[in-house]
Amino acid sequence: MVCQTVVESLVDNPIEVECAGRPVLELASDGFAELYQAHSREIFYLTLRLLGETHKAEDATHDVFLKAFKKWGDFRGDSSARAWLYRIAINHCHNLRQSWHSRNLVTGADEAIWENAAAASDSPLRVLETKELGQRIQKTLDALSDEYQLLLLLVADEELSYDEIAALVGQSADAVRGKLHRARKAFAAHFEKTV
Amino acid sequence: MKQQTKLAQKQETVAAQKTQSNTAKEFANSDELLRFDAAQTTVPPEIARRLQKSAANIPAPPRPWWKNLFGG
Repeated sequence: MVCQTVVESLVDNPIEVECAGRPVLELASDGFAELYQAHSREIFYLTLRLLGETHKAEDATHDVFLKAFKKWGDFRGDSSARAWLYRIAINHCHNLRQSWHSRNLVTGADEAIWENAAAASDSPLRVLETKELGQRIQKTLDALSDEYQLLLLLVADEELSYDEIAALVGQSADAVRGKLHRARKAFAAHFEKTV
Repeated sequence: MKQQTKLAQKQETVAAQKTQSNTAKEFANSDELLRFDAAQTTVPPEIARRLQKSAANIPAPPRPWWKNLFGG
């Protein structure tokens, strides 16, 4: 049974995250359980697609929210909570990937080849079977550079503004727009090859 | 005969379900495709359980001073 009434109360009035009407998360911090409830999906999805495996994404999402829990008292709302969590998640995944890359020699994809490929970023992406869509998307993202992967995943979140994305990737909004065009094109070209 | 009809009905249902899960789709661009993929992704409830356990070993973060001052 995955949903489980949890733990002895940590504080007098814990906030609870519920699953099928039963609490799965009670945390001794103002609004933190609400934060988890509101943003766990996008953080899990980002880590899943950056790390490529469900169990790694589960660990990473846990670690990201634990870090956020420790820092929650310091969060002053200068950025949106969403962008703040993305920042933690991006840094966490970046560190994990760096340590893997140093252990396993990984050659980066040659983006120029794909940017000049026939597929245009404005042609529709046709999917005949949604069943294996996740695998195709993962394969496609894995073939792109880290930068393109991140840009595409962030821009797919409609709640994030270009300014927020720019701040998260440490570039100007104009630079993000320019790179996105190329990233979408590379994605489309790779995606076609995964059929 | 009755059994054959039942079997045929069952096969039809299975085929229909299969078609539903494999429906062809078209996405305008990668943003739309990734959005669809994200919407299909569910967060394993196990994460919340683990987080609960881990957080139990950590003292609750102090209420920030500015919250005491300005409320919120």
